[in-house]
Amino acid sequence: MADIARPVTLPGAARPAPPRRSFLREHPSVLWFMLILGIFTAGVTLLSEAFGIGLVSTSLVKILGMTLCLCLLAVAMDVVWGYCGILSLGHFAFFGLGGYAIGMWLMYARTEILVRQSLEAGTIPPTEREVSEAVASQIFSVVGSNELPLIWSFAHSLTFQLAMVVLIPGLLALVFGWLAFRSRVTGVYLSILTQAMTLALSLYLFQNDSGLRGNNGLSGLQNIPGFLDVPQSVISMWFFWASALALGLGYMLFAWIVSGKFGSVVRAIRDNEPRVRFLGYNVEGYKLFVFTLTAIIAGLAGALYYPQAGIINPAEIAPIASIYLAVWVAIGGRGRLYGAVIGAALVSLLSSWLTGGGAPNIDLGFYRIVWTDWWQVLLGFGFVLVTLFFPKGIGGLFDRLVRKQE
Amino acid sequence: MPRTARAPWRWMSFLLLALTVVAVPARADTPLQDVLQTVQAEVASPARGTIPDVLRALLDADAPGTLEFLRAFADREVVERPEDGLFFIAQDGPDRSLILIDVDSGAEIATVTTRDVNQIRPNAGVRREIAAALVQFELSAPDPARRIAAMDAIARSPDPEQMPILAASIPDEPDAAIRARKERLLALLTARFETDSATRVAAIEALTGDVSTEARRVLNQLLQTEAGHAQFVPEGVNIARIRVVGEDLDLLRAHARLAEDGLVPPRPGRNAIRDALRAHVVDGHVGGIPVHRLTDEATRREAYRALQEDGLVPPLPTEAEMRAAVAQFTFYDRYLEDDPAVTTAARAALDSTRTRVGLFQALNLSLEALSLASIFFLGAIGLAITFGVMRVINMAHGEFIMMGAYTGVVVQMFIPSHTVSIAVALPLAFAVTFAAGVAMERLVIRHLYTRPLETLLATFGISIALQQLAKNIFGPQARPLTSPDWLAGAVRLNDIVSISTIRVAIFFLALMFLILLIYILNRTRLGLEVRAVTQNPGMAASMGINPDRINMLTFGLGSGIAGTAGVAIGLFAQVTSEMGANYIVQSFMTVVVGGVGSVFGTLAGAGLIGFLQKGIEWFNPANTLAAQTYMVLFIILFIQFRPRGIVALKGRAAGD
Amino acid sequence: MTALLEVSDVSVTFDGFRAINGLSLAINEPELRAVIGPNGAGKTTFMDIVTGKTRPDTGRVVWGETATSLLSMSEAQIARAGIGRKFQKPTVFEDQTVRENLRLALKARRGVFSVLSWRATAEDARRIDELAQEIGLTDRLSHRAGDLSHGQKQWLEIGMLLAQDPRLLLVDEPAAGMTPAEREHTTDILKTAARTRAVVVIEHDMEFVRRLDCRVTVLHEGRVLAEGSLDHVTRDQRVIDVYLGR
Repeated sequence: MADIARPVTLPGAARPAPPRRSFLREHPSVLWFMLILGIFTAGVTLLSEAFGIGLVSTSLVKILGMTLCLCLLAVAMDVVWGYCGILSLGHFAFFGLGGYAIGMWLMYARTEILVRQSLEAGTIPPTEREVSEAVASQIFSVVGSNELPLIWSFAHSLTFQLAMVVLIPGLLALVFGWLAFRSRVTGVYLSILTQAMTLALSLYLFQNDSGLRGNNGLSGLQNIPGFLDVPQSVISMWFFWASALALGLGYMLFAWIVSGKFGSVVRAIRDNEPRVRFLGYNVEGYKLFVFTLTAIIAGLAGALYYPQAGIINPAEIAPIASIYLAVWVAIGGRGRLYGAVIGAALVSLLSSWLTGGGAPNIDLGFYRIVWTDWWQVLLGFGFVLVTLFFPKGIGGLFDRLVRKQE
Repeated sequence: MPRTARAPWRWMSFLLLALTVVAVPARADTPLQDVLQTVQAEVASPARGTIPDVLRALLDADAPGTLEFLRAFADREVVERPEDGLFFIAQDGPDRSLILIDVDSGAEIATVTTRDVNQIRPNAGVRREIAAALVQFELSAPDPARRIAAMDAIARSPDPEQMPILAASIPDEPDAAIRARKERLLALLTARFETDSATRVAAIEALTGDVSTEARRVLNQLLQTEAGHAQFVPEGVNIARIRVVGEDLDLLRAHARLAEDGLVPPRPGRNAIRDALRAHVVDGHVGGIPVHRLTDEATRREAYRALQEDGLVPPLPTEAEMRAAVAQFTFYDRYLEDDPAVTTAARAALDSTRTRVGLFQALNLSLEALSLASIFFLGAIGLAITFGVMRVINMAHGEFIMMGAYTGVVVQMFIPSHTVSIAVALPLAFAVTFAAGVAMERLVIRHLYTRPLETLLATFGISIALQQLAKNIFGPQARPLTSPDWLAGAVRLNDIVSISTIRVAIFFLALMFLILLIYILNRTRLGLEVRAVTQNPGMAASMGINPDRINMLTFGLGSGIAGTAGVAIGLFAQVTSEMGANYIVQSFMTVVVGGVGSVFGTLAGAGLIGFLQKGIEWFNPANTLAAQTYMVLFIILFIQFRPRGIVALKGRAAGD
Repeated sequence: MTALLEVSDVSVTFDGFRAINGLSLAINEPELRAVIGPNGAGKTTFMDIVTGKTRPDTGRVVWGETATSLLSMSEAQIARAGIGRKFQKPTVFEDQTVRENLRLALKARRGVFSVLSWRATAEDARRIDELAQEIGLTDRLSHRAGDLSHGQKQWLEIGMLLAQDPRLLLVDEPAAGMTPAEREHTTDILKTAARTRAVVVIEHDMEFVRRLDCRVTVLHEGRVLAEGSLDHVTRDQRVIDVYLGR
């Protein structure tokens, strides 16, 4: 128990004598995390409807898989905020962009299959143009159009859209970060600026002529082209495994990055940016690297999340979502990767339990507490209390426990 | 000409409808039936030559019910009872029966069949006479509102018959404004319906510079065109423009136009080709090509041509053939108006009016931008003060706006008079949010001064809690905050420039706050201390200024202004628990663009953002969302060049 | 012999206040130089200009044998060119250990990807131990820098400066808040460093300057008032006027 609680960046990271020890050996908390994640994944598999005794319903598997994606997003957020000190209010937007990129393929390819089926019923096989026109009118009739927007030109290609999952959030973060960091916008200003970016993006997506179906968003994403006859209970498990794998790999990657000298530089930037500059480090480059890398991981997490959610629309990436993300990380504990995971898992699961009507309402006699009404109030004020009294979040409690044991 | 012939009846029935609503004052004592009996023969068989006498007699007698009778007369609903020669208004009853209605009392007298009475059927000429009489009657009515209503009706569905009547009513018009309106209306009618070309041109020239929608609509109507084509352009056709195929007219379009008129055989489209192929599948082959290969357009055309050679399908013209066919014709746009002098004059008048219209539109846009800027200013100034003095981002600022608006709603529940309730709500909202701000500063923000990013998050927590609380208390639906009647209208300069009174009021409210704040900051002890803390908190503290007190008061002041702004915003926007969230990001932008800690900076920021947003909307008026998107992008770029905003504090105080 | 750093006719204005007014100064290598002057004489602004934090309105700042202008370089580039700076307030990274602090400063490639692919080497470890020895923090290598005493933080910062292996050290009030014994140690470190490189010390404390035993430049109202040995400048009437008031 002592090992799991030790932050990955404790001094042990930097033993000078280099008898080459493996990364995991030096960072037992990562090992512990992997172990718990593995047990959890195996457990859910054995309890699932598709591969186990059926105690865990398919919809719960989806919620758990989505939660794993949110945890990965939170880990990325923790790296950019907790380690590098950039309170980005744009990472949920990167997450959403990843979802849109993969959603375009899912929606196009599935519609194409259906369209081909109906067209091929005719005596003459359809031309490519007929197929693409029929697909376009299927997808875009909700926004009063029947033309395929330019950005969908390669939506039929899974490879291309997968590349977009990485490239769109990555390039956006690169360009935005370059502009912002270059002009030395920091602190609260930077947060507001990232929020502005998120707002611009969601407003853009809300437009019907954005080419992404306006506020209807993309839907039917849970149907995976090529596997349309595979039951959802099985597909949900595939995505659950993929999410667990992504979280595991992402966690390792970030743990490796924030340990060692790079982590040391990044934390130094968080604590005193000008000083790092006078040591000769190109601070902007480091911030840009962290900002972009975390944006890419966020995009990947989104690409795994939305096929499980089944639908994505611009409301998902409104600025408030990114603020919630910051809240999860703050509650879990900044500057600790496992803190971000705990925060995201706890708050998002609690939130969907309480707002989904799963929790029993409490009758006080004179007043009836309906959780769907009061959860946000509780979360809001609870968060204020956490910020005031437990600035290190839940992860900080672990630290106290460890110190007591010592 | 069925369209123009029906037009007067439409507006006339409207007119009469309006008249029946207006209480007709008691006039002469002679009952209408008696008046009608004096001209019995002329009414029973109305003719163009005799009807003016009938009308004069009726209008002179001015008996109650005359207007209703005339309407029925024109609508062919009047019948004569052969036994006594009395007239009745007839309505359709059950089983083809007629219900007779007394012309004086309006009471139902009897139910008869069509054979029992003579139906009176005035011809079109007579009906026009009746309509003209009614217009004349209304245009000279003693009540100015009725005269204006009559003109509105004419403007809505103009008719050449109205010109002489309108012209006749002008000399006796006592009201200068209405007279000017009549003259303009006459010019509009003249421009449109007059037969003499020179008179029309003169009337059109008189409309030059008239920016009213009516005038521009008439000019645009004169310039309406329709597409046409002919082998030789016929004489007397007023050509607006010759279209050159390939340059400003697509070859396929041109060919299709000829095909529509049957001048060339139609070219089978993609779907026609597909259907034709489908119809001629033989043993899995079409035109010698296996069906499974028909997956691209070129192969399909090949198969179609094969069918064509066998004479099975109509021919598919090649491009060269289409060019040759099209080349025999001239394609043009012609004006519906045949007189070139008129269209030239209308074009000239419209072009020169366009500049004026543009200027007025710019003026209107500036007014809208100014109004938007004052809303942004109201929303942002409280934020700017707290951010400037305390370096604290208050994410709950929007919820203070919301709190202010709900204060107004609650006040209106208790005080029914809108004027009084708004007068009470403005200071009360200030007090409520001032208290809330002070409480928040004491309980939360005070403990986080060294951790600005966490203030952002903590205030966000408060923000979501307050939003949900408001929703729990007031429900999810929008609550009305009704403005007093004297704020309900709009200030109008002309058809283009107008702004709602409420926005003018908000502008003045913003102006008031601006002056008040400048006064507080520059002329009072509190302002001095606030400025000292803004510029150098450490130094201010060492000079005996209690920064805690200043912070508390500043926060209260900023929140109070937000609350007052909330009442103002609630008057024109909907009061919902999310309304604050809609303003918060714009308010942040305003502060960031303007420069932190300066009233003038916020003013400049609000001005820039307001004008920018309206400016972008001008280029793409249909899309407010796009305007907002581009505006935010602009702000991101703006920050690149002026990271500290328009009005930046310099030197060490800027907080390096 | 050309100077390592040459500042000529530099002026800078903040909101109408001339912080530096036609300052010219040359530093050789190796050399130990003390810069003194009353409050507001422009000492710290001088350092800001050399390290790239503040851009002067006019004047030239050239560096090294190739006489490169520092004015078009970023702070990080200037630091990599070989100019190290110690701030007035000790600024070490309190959340990290002494070893991590030194490792950050240790001369090495500074690029993002070089640092990402960094691995601990025996050579680095030896350098860090050596530096720790020099600044007397060997037994505190694994402690958080935030737990150090004020004097130890000052030393750590000097150690980080040395770890950068700069050709020019700019040291702002190194002895502030130190006990006499600590001051002695600091003097030794600086003097040792100045044997191989240029060291510029800004100091208020005359006693400390005397102990450094070096050439002294007196700044006043943003320009050089006098230059020479401490005894020479303290005999200068203008310097006496400035320090004692007119």
